[in-house]
Amino acid sequence: MKIKMLTAILFLCSIVGFSQEQKMSESEISSFKNAVNSTAKSTKTLTTYFTQYKHLDFLEKDIETSGKMNFKAPGSLQWEYLKPYKYSIVFKNNKIYINDAGKKSNIDNNKMFDKLNKLIVGSVNGNMFDDKEFTISYFKTKDFNITKLLPKDATLKKYIKQMELYFDKSSNTVSQVKMIESSNDFTKIVFKNKSINAKIDDSVFNN
Amino acid sequence: MQKSTIPFLITSFFLLVLLNSCAVKTVKDFDKTAVSSEIFKTPYFSDKSIDYVYKSSISVYGRDFGGIFIAKKINDTTHRIVFTTEFGNKLFDFEISGNEFKVNFILEELDRKIIVNMLKRDFMLLLKKEFVVEEQFENDNFTILKSLENNRINFLFVSKKSLKLEKLVHSTKSKEKISIEYLSENNTLADKIIIDHKNIKLRIELNYLKN
Repeated sequence: MKIKMLTAILFLCSIVGFSQEQKMSESEISSFKNAVNSTAKSTKTLTTYFTQYKHLDFLEKDIETSGKMNFKAPGSLQWEYLKPYKYSIVFKNNKIYINDAGKKSNIDNNKMFDKLNKLIVGSVNGNMFDDKEFTISYFKTKDFNITKLLPKDATLKKYIKQMELYFDKSSNTVSQVKMIESSNDFTKIVFKNKSINAKIDDSVFNN
Repeated sequence: MQKSTIPFLITSFFLLVLLNSCAVKTVKDFDKTAVSSEIFKTPYFSDKSIDYVYKSSISVYGRDFGGIFIAKKINDTTHRIVFTTEFGNKLFDFEISGNEFKVNFILEELDRKIIVNMLKRDFMLLLKKEFVVEEQFENDNFTILKSLENNRINFLFVSKKSLKLEKLVHSTKSKEKISIEYLSENNTLADKIIIDHKNIKLRIELNYLKN
């Protein structure tokens, strides 16, 4: 009985140990940054499916939406929500094109959207270690390298208190993004079925 | 004496015609009936266990915006209302309890008195739990309940066939200001809601998201 208990405790400890975040050392940070930057540089296109969870503390369950994302270097980006509604937003040439279930509109890029765009593109290709914009800290778990970014810019701070990026250790690409608001409500986006450098037709970015 | 009475009568007559023509037309061709129940309780947004999540589109003076509208009854008297972009960024977060209105968060760009007041009035109307019925009207399809609210009037259109609340018209004594249309399959949850402003070009459409 005692042995069983001991095994159970040890097992639990090992789980906690594995999932626990540890701070990266300086050398780990530098090799991680290099790996991500070289992956980002060689990423010409990226297509991935995503599921987005909007967490609001007062709700019974998170609001779940899902779709597909297309990115083409240097800066064309399309988010296409497919469930439970159809909505597509394209960031291209400093403009934002929206197709809301057939209703089309566009917005000139302003300061706020520009920052949001950079953040989104950066979070997709991992190229966002900008110390001028963020205070960045680095952590690791068994499966992930994690960066936590605190915005320095007052405009961005109003929207996001902290941004967390989870990088797959195997591929050095982002597999999860978490944007935390000052109220601690958050948006979590989980990427799956990533396809890197496959051909994407330019018409994808014509909303 | 007689000389002064005639102009007075003429003025009164024209004033009467003028006032009559200005009276709100909402229940113009309806027959007045006895009030059947003094209180009307709205069925929508009343279940504490439901997250009311809607995909919404807002059209204001020809410009279109989208987002997610979330309403939740957090206790017996209070509703929480949050509006986010499709990406999940919060644009505003309000709490409404009867006539009390609290702003938990609003984006600086939206934080204008005229916008906040308009949102406040629309959502208070949308979430109003019960109406005191002053008068009642009907035609072949609807029973219309008239309820007073300060200097304004609310007309509630209840379908005779389905007994569902299908429309709410908010008006002054002479003009309709806002109409809210509800499409509901089961009479407890509104699947589609259209809030239409009559004096400004503003229309809000909400479509329930089955999560």
